[in-house]
Order: sequence, then C-alpha cells, then structure tokens
Amino acid sequence: MTRVVVVTSGKGGVGKTTTSAAFSSGLALRGFKTAVIDFDVGLRNLDLIMGCERRVVYDLINVINGEAKLTQALIKDKHCDNLFVLPASQTRDKDALTEEGVEKVLKELEHLGFDYVVCDSPAGIERGAVLALTFADEAIITTNPEVSSVRDSDRILGILQSKSRRAANGSDPIKEHLLVTRYSPKRVEDGEMLSYKDVQELLRVPLIGVIPESESVLQASNQGTPAIHLKGSDVSEAYTDVVARFLGETRDLRFVNYEKPGLIKRLFGGK
Amino acid sequence: MSAPPASRSIEFRNATLGATIAVLRETEPARLADALHMMLGGMPDFFNGEAAVLDFAAMAEAPARIDWTGLASLLRRYRLQPVGVRNLPPELAATARQAGLAILDDAELRDRQAALAPAPQPRAEPVPPVHAAPAPAPVPAQPAIQANTLFVDRPLRSGQQVYARGGDLVLLAGMSNGAEVIADGSIHCYGPLRGRALAGAQGNIAARIVTTNFGPELVSIAGIYRTFEQGIPESVAGRAAHVRLSAAGTEQKLGIESLQLD
Repeated sequence: MTRVVVVTSGKGGVGKTTTSAAFSSGLALRGFKTAVIDFDVGLRNLDLIMGCERRVVYDLINVINGEAKLTQALIKDKHCDNLFVLPASQTRDKDALTEEGVEKVLKELEHLGFDYVVCDSPAGIERGAVLALTFADEAIITTNPEVSSVRDSDRILGILQSKSRRAANGSDPIKEHLLVTRYSPKRVEDGEMLSYKDVQELLRVPLIGVIPESESVLQASNQGTPAIHLKGSDVSEAYTDVVARFLGETRDLRFVNYEKPGLIKRLFGGK
Repeated sequence: MSAPPASRSIEFRNATLGATIAVLRETEPARLADALHMMLGGMPDFFNGEAAVLDFAAMAEAPARIDWTGLASLLRRYRLQPVGVRNLPPELAATARQAGLAILDDAELRDRQAALAPAPQPRAEPVPPVHAAPAPAPVPAQPAIQANTLFVDRPLRSGQQVYARGGDLVLLAGMSNGAEVIADGSIHCYGPLRGRALAGAQGNIAARIVTTNFGPELVSIAGIYRTFEQGIPESVAGRAAHVRLSAAGTEQKLGIESLQLD
C-alpha cells in the first residue's frame, strides 16, 4: 500500500517545500521508494530545491491532461536512487488541477510500487492546497513558532478534517503530525518566540519534530540540495530524527534548548 | 422522476433565519414613536431592513385592540420589517393575521413541553391572557426541548462552526481560536475553550458554558455576550470555569466563575 503524506501549513514561507524535499529524501535514504509531488502549480519551487530544474520536461498537469505518461514526467533524484520528483507546471494555473486527475496520478504511483508519496502543498486554502491534502493518509503540519502561522495551521487542520477523502468516506481520520520549523531556542529564551510547547498546546497535534532556524537551509536551497544531505548540520540531524519518528522510532528532541556559548567559543567564534 | 429543479417555477425549502425580536410593553404607535425616537433618534436606518417578530409577552395589560397599520409603518420608518407576532393574546390573533403578520407561537412545542414537565404546580395556559402585576420581568422565550445533545469528538479548528440545534453541545477535544460554537442549550467543553461560544441561542437564560480550560474570544448566553479585549480575568484564565447569567435587579448579568475540579 502506498502511503500519501501531505506537507501543508496554510501560511506561506514556513518551510513546506524545504520539508517536503528533506522528508522525501529521508524516506528514500531509509530505502523506501518515494515520490514527491509539487502541487504549487504556477509557482513551482520544489524542482529548484531538489536541484532538478534543468531536467523538467513534463509536469503534473501534462500527466493529468494525458499529454505525457507518468513515467516520462517523473524525474529521478540525483542523490537517491529510489526518489522521484513530479514537478508542478510553471505556465498553468491551479484550475488545471482536477480531483480525478490527481486521483489517477496517485493510483498510478501505487501501481508503480511506490511506498510513499509526499505531496508538497501550496500556501493558502484554495484549490491547490485542498487537492494536495484530499487523498492524504498522513499530514505534516509545518508551523513556525509565531501566532499567525499557528492560526493558519489550525485552519488547515480543520480543512483536513472536513475536505479530505478520508473525512468524506468516514474512514479513519488523517494522521496528523506537527512539525515546528525555523525554531530559534535563543529567541524563545528571550521571550520573542513561542516555544514548541506553546505551539503544541495551541494546536494539540502530536509533535514529530523541531527544525532549528539555520543559515544552512538557505545555502542548501540555493545549491539545490535537500537540507537533509548537509551532513553534520543540525538541520540535517533534525530532519533525520523526523523521518525516524515518522517510521515509528523513538528519538529525543534535539536543538530545542539554548546553550549559552562558552568562553572559548565566545573568544574564538565558531559555529 | 419529477422535473429537474431548474424547470420548476417555485420550490420550497426549509430554512432557519434570524430575526430581531421586538419586545413591546406598549402598542400605542404615538407613544412607541416617542420611545423609539429617544432610543434611536439620529439613526433612522438603525435596523437596515431586518425582519422583526413582535413579542407581546411583556405587555402589562392586554390591549383591547392594536393599530397594526400604525405599528407597522412606525417600525418600517426605522427600517424594521415586521413579519410576525408571538405571545399575543389569542383574542387579537385574528386581527394580526388580517394585518398580514404570521402567528409564530410554537404551540405544538409548548404543549409537548408542558406534557413533559413534572408539573408540581399546574402550568399556566400557553399564553397568559392578562398579567395582574404591572410590568413583570420579561418572560423568557420558551427554550427548546433539550433532547438532542451534540457530541464533537475532535478538536474544533479555526474557521469551523458547529450549531447544536435544540440541545446541548459537548466538545470532547476543545476548540481553537477562530472557531465558533452555538447551542440552544448549554455548552460543555472538555479541553481548551477558545474562539467564540454562544449558549442559549434561542434565548434560554438558564443555559451555561462549562469548560475545563477557559480562554475564549467571546462568550454569550441568551444573547448577552462578553468579549475579552483586556484579557481574560486571571482567576479563570486557563482554568476550569463556567459562565452563567444571574439576575441583577431587572437586568441579567453574565458571570464567570472558576470551578474546583479534582
């Protein structure tokens, strides 16, 4: 059975695409055959983050309209053998997405033997975002530790409950996971940012991980390398933990406490 | 198969619509006009064309006759559109019908409720014909029968709305800011009560709001509401609390009290 996982948030700029790229790569690194689909039709970004923008020939809309076969549109990732990217169309708008079309693509991916399909949702609560979550079995709610992001995530959680196929069928609800991204323990300590505990208390969804704010994310995006591949960085470690927790392993939460830099560190700098 | 809906020239649907209740203690148009002028003097458009139901429950004495035409044109001047009456003395019902107003007493509901009540003292007939005492407290609208409790098992999220018609609402996983719950009866919330909670939506002043974690944006009972612009009082914020109406003189006052749970 293919598991469909939507990465969603409501609000833009919180790290959905970064998370989709890192999370799908993480699943592939663990040996699962994984596809990651960009639902942000008209504003495609995922191919850039995955570093495959020059290899895009066909896209999701071409497949939905029957202009290309799914196997032609899937781009094999350059880092992982069993990861494939299905890019969004840059030239169409979201009206080109249809529920039947998305369902057909997901069925075909199941037929091709994929273990996981990760859907990178666009921001907002419009068509693209709703279609990205319609067929989901699990959802990763990406939230920044600030009130407007929390409010939008709450809204999306409501939509997951009401508009998903699982809700319509009355089957088991979508399994929800809270991922707090762009977390700065220092700013939490200074009282400038909500703590991950506050966010979880407000949203009441099980926490799957906390990704620290880091310059290496920007660097990774610009290089077209999913952040999980930046060996030794805290972001990479944090995403690896997220994947492990998603697969049912127990990992302690890391990178959530602020440690005052020691004397040596202060004198000599260093990261 | 019947004709497709588009080809029918009329269709009937059931809907529950909001209306303003105008509680009258006076039916003489001239005296009402003075009172309305005092209340709304500068704002003739105050009601913006809303539908109104005239409620006669608070009349000290049943008037012998009512000038329906005068009353209606007076209200229309304030852009209030009378559509019906309730609690009208039965002998005046025929004249109200003639004036084109619907009689909106839910007689069936009332009878059923009378039958269900344990009735230690004999109940008064549905519409009290004459009140002996002058100006009694407004008679609350008949609460609907509280039979249909609505349970919500999952957290209610921002943008979601739930209405427990004719009964209590039980939230088993709390609610978030930006959500709204409405109940004709009481609201019981296990978990955080955020967002807007409106109990006694049909005017049941005995309704309450009970929660294990108090933190709403707005609470209302029978239309008497309170917001928390200055923050929620420390004594109840984040704690178990209940909200209820208590009579303070002639007015109802919304009170929030903490609850001791252990």
